[in-house]
Amino acid sequence: MANGQQCSLDLKGHIEDADSKEKLSGATVFIDSLGLVLTTDERGDFIFKGLCPGTYRLRVSHVGCETIEEEVALNKNRHVDINLPHLKNTLSEVTINSLSGIQNTGTKNELSGRALEATKGESLAEALSRINGVSMLQTGSTISKPVIHGLHSNRILTINNGVRQEGQQWGNEHAPEIDPYIAGKLTVIKGVDELKYGSDAIGGVILVEPKPLLGLPGYNAELNAGYFTNNQLYVVSGLFEQQLKALPAFTYRLQGTFRKAANVTTPNYRLNNTGLEEQNFSVTAGWKKHQLNSELFYSFFNTQLGIFKGAHIGNLSDLREAIDGGQPDAAFTGQNTYHIERPRQEVRHQILKSKTILQKGKHKYSLLLSAQINDRKEFDIVRNSNNKSPQMDISLVTFSEELTREWITGKNFTHTAGINSVQQENQYAGRYFIPYYKSLNLGAFYIVKWNKEKWDIQSGVRFDQKNINTNRLLADSVVFDQYTFNFSTLGASLNAGYAFTKQLKVNGTITLATRAPYVNELLSNGIHHGTATYEIGNINLKEEQSINTSLNMSWRNSSETFSIQGTVYRNQINNFIYQQPKPNEPVLTIAGAFPKWVYQQNNAVLSGTDITTRLQPVKSLTWTIKYAMLRATNRDLHDWLIRMPADRIQNELSWDFKDGKRWSKTFVSAEMVYIAEQTRVPDEKNGEQDYKAAPEAYTLVNATLGTTVELFKLPITVSITARNMFNVVYRDYLNSMRYFTDEMGTNIQLRLKIPFKHLH
Amino acid sequence: MKKNILRMSLVLVTATLLLNACKKDKPGEGNDEEVITTMNLRFTPVGGGTVSNYTFDDPDGPGGATPTKSVITLNASLTYDVQLTLLNKTVTPVKDVTTEIIAEANAHRFYYQPSATSAINVSNLNNDGNGIALGTTSRWTTGTTGLGTIRITLRHYASTPPNKAGADPVDSPKSSTDIEVVFDTAIL
Repeated sequence: MANGQQCSLDLKGHIEDADSKEKLSGATVFIDSLGLVLTTDERGDFIFKGLCPGTYRLRVSHVGCETIEEEVALNKNRHVDINLPHLKNTLSEVTINSLSGIQNTGTKNELSGRALEATKGESLAEALSRINGVSMLQTGSTISKPVIHGLHSNRILTINNGVRQEGQQWGNEHAPEIDPYIAGKLTVIKGVDELKYGSDAIGGVILVEPKPLLGLPGYNAELNAGYFTNNQLYVVSGLFEQQLKALPAFTYRLQGTFRKAANVTTPNYRLNNTGLEEQNFSVTAGWKKHQLNSELFYSFFNTQLGIFKGAHIGNLSDLREAIDGGQPDAAFTGQNTYHIERPRQEVRHQILKSKTILQKGKHKYSLLLSAQINDRKEFDIVRNSNNKSPQMDISLVTFSEELTREWITGKNFTHTAGINSVQQENQYAGRYFIPYYKSLNLGAFYIVKWNKEKWDIQSGVRFDQKNINTNRLLADSVVFDQYTFNFSTLGASLNAGYAFTKQLKVNGTITLATRAPYVNELLSNGIHHGTATYEIGNINLKEEQSINTSLNMSWRNSSETFSIQGTVYRNQINNFIYQQPKPNEPVLTIAGAFPKWVYQQNNAVLSGTDITTRLQPVKSLTWTIKYAMLRATNRDLHDWLIRMPADRIQNELSWDFKDGKRWSKTFVSAEMVYIAEQTRVPDEKNGEQDYKAAPEAYTLVNATLGTTVELFKLPITVSITARNMFNVVYRDYLNSMRYFTDEMGTNIQLRLKIPFKHLH
Repeated sequence: MKKNILRMSLVLVTATLLLNACKKDKPGEGNDEEVITTMNLRFTPVGGGTVSNYTFDDPDGPGGATPTKSVITLNASLTYDVQLTLLNKTVTPVKDVTTEIIAEANAHRFYYQPSATSAINVSNLNNDGNGIALGTTSRWTTGTTGLGTIRITLRHYASTPPNKAGADPVDSPKSSTDIEVVFDTAIL
């Protein structure tokens, strides 16, 4: 190196995706000879300061792209542009070969970076609801599950770090058993890529993906903490990962989260027994040598959730009484405590997974083996206060094996084919709601993707065969109600994208999905205490089939100060399974008469649109408008479907401040969310369909201030958010507690993130 | 490569076996401690006479077969001591649930609501430890003639502490319904 000269040169650079010309933020740039490493900012830019003149070898890597090396001669300040080609042969952990350059279209919407950080401490469904077109089905403030375009539960697949999550998804009050802190990115996908996970993703697929393991010797640690004032929620989550210099093939990661909350406060009263406590951890070990890449992953999720006591209903007249009361009785409000009593849920979910990938030339083979145990215990209010046992106790064990092959032919074809097998056993004790069952699912899929210049075409097909054997079992080993079910389900999808110009892209998808009825739909039989209904399954249900067509369009101006992205969809579902109230056939019990609800099938159509526009009138100011609308009809009854999300408009203004010496990424944002009243509800002329009219429209305002400050040489990120800033009293149509209580009032959320990084 | 895959599978198989070993088989259905199938009312005329029993009976619990219910037929102008008993017939031997109610008397309360035409008056309900009505025993007085109904409700106070108070109406938001049976009545 040339001595004697001043080492004060700057090497600036800009990194883009070679195919889509997208700016690549979060790309890693190394100068190995100096041990320097940087990541690119949101504009894909990086800068090394204070370099000596000389020649340097830059190594640049980014998830989903090939790592490239480039020699740069430096004798004055210099700017380099680097184009990273898409990874052709080596596909990343969970592969979504997105349409070139079409980000966040109707087939793929993701939440990552700052938007994801802003949801830390909240539940998975709350985080996902930030994505346009996704809403939440809730039981109070602490139990929530995602709804995609009006569909939820068994119509959505959740892929947790590559494994199809198998819990008791059927229940409206059964939230996904996933620690959101595991995720580096949350993605909702539709269309061709669904077929990798099942033929039954009528509503779509949610991917919960961790960040890739460390790629360099050294260690990385991260501490996240949060405190929410409304329910005194506190959360601590930590991560530590390391790759040893002596054994660079081996990488491991430890991660854990503790979350605890007291009772929730609405603007006018505090709701007793609405606390939660959650303990989660996961361990990942990776081995990477030559063409072999192996990963072993174990995760443990454990939660305890209190359920508001004022919603414990003995019979129908109680329910009406509680609903007519307008607000809960003083006996069920006002306690400020972390203590959780009956009724409550205790849910534990464990996943063990091994994934081995072998790369051979243009071929890639992967073997995924997984085991899951889901334990759900529900503790009802009981007569005898000495009773410590759960009233419903279900446990589901799932094993799955999957072999996938990916290969490339010609210049532009990528193929993926796979076979998989899933075995399940469900056991129960206590109250009957779903039976004992054993099931076997065998599936096979094939996907082909082709892209050339402006075209991007993908298609795929999948077939699954499912066998279910069920029975009921009394504690004295009497077995009855034995049934065998066989279902064949077919999925297929075709997706065509065309880029008219760099700015204007259009993408159309047609997807066929078929879902086998779930055991609760076939065989449930009993009183549902939350709704004071007597629910009866139907063993004659057929497969549910959906044909979903969607058209997506995205346009941005050349200066990128304006962009619009819109999706129009129509999901026609034949044999849509739903619960029909039978007002004239009440079930008489010693606790009085209960309305009967039966599972039946009709043809339904769910169509709607999601539109997102982004305006950047000046560099620092971003204005985002999101609009989502859905119309869901029962075609046979010529009526609306119940419990569908209302229209919504979100407006967000965000101001980014210039980076200072110690302060960077400073921003302030304010968001206004308007949720319309759901006026499209089933007609009551066929008898009572709902206990209470849909709640009125409401508007919430949320605001955030965040920054990253350099302290002790660590970039510490802090933020403060006010949710429901004006303490608005409201109820939401998709929250089953809307019959009894208002929603959460103002919640001030404080977040802190400290990263420690040391790479060799 | 093959060796590696083999090794991985072996690790997984061992681990899943371990997981399986930790897991116990669930015993199956039985939430019997919470089920009430039967309400029996035993009428003893004050001052002597024939003892009679009237019953609401749903031996297979909620759902399944339709419950049976007797018509309470009483003599005119008489006073009866009434003993209420709750049973769970889904278990063998049949379980008397009344004792559990009495054990948690401060969180339970029976209400008796005769209709206007029934010509029945219910009084003298027994009390819980705090001197507030419980109602597993009561005194029924009949008029000269009447055809009507009587609604018998068991309310459960789920909050801790129960906050049960003498003035609580049958539809108090503090409590919820465990039992609600309406008998037809006849005074002959």
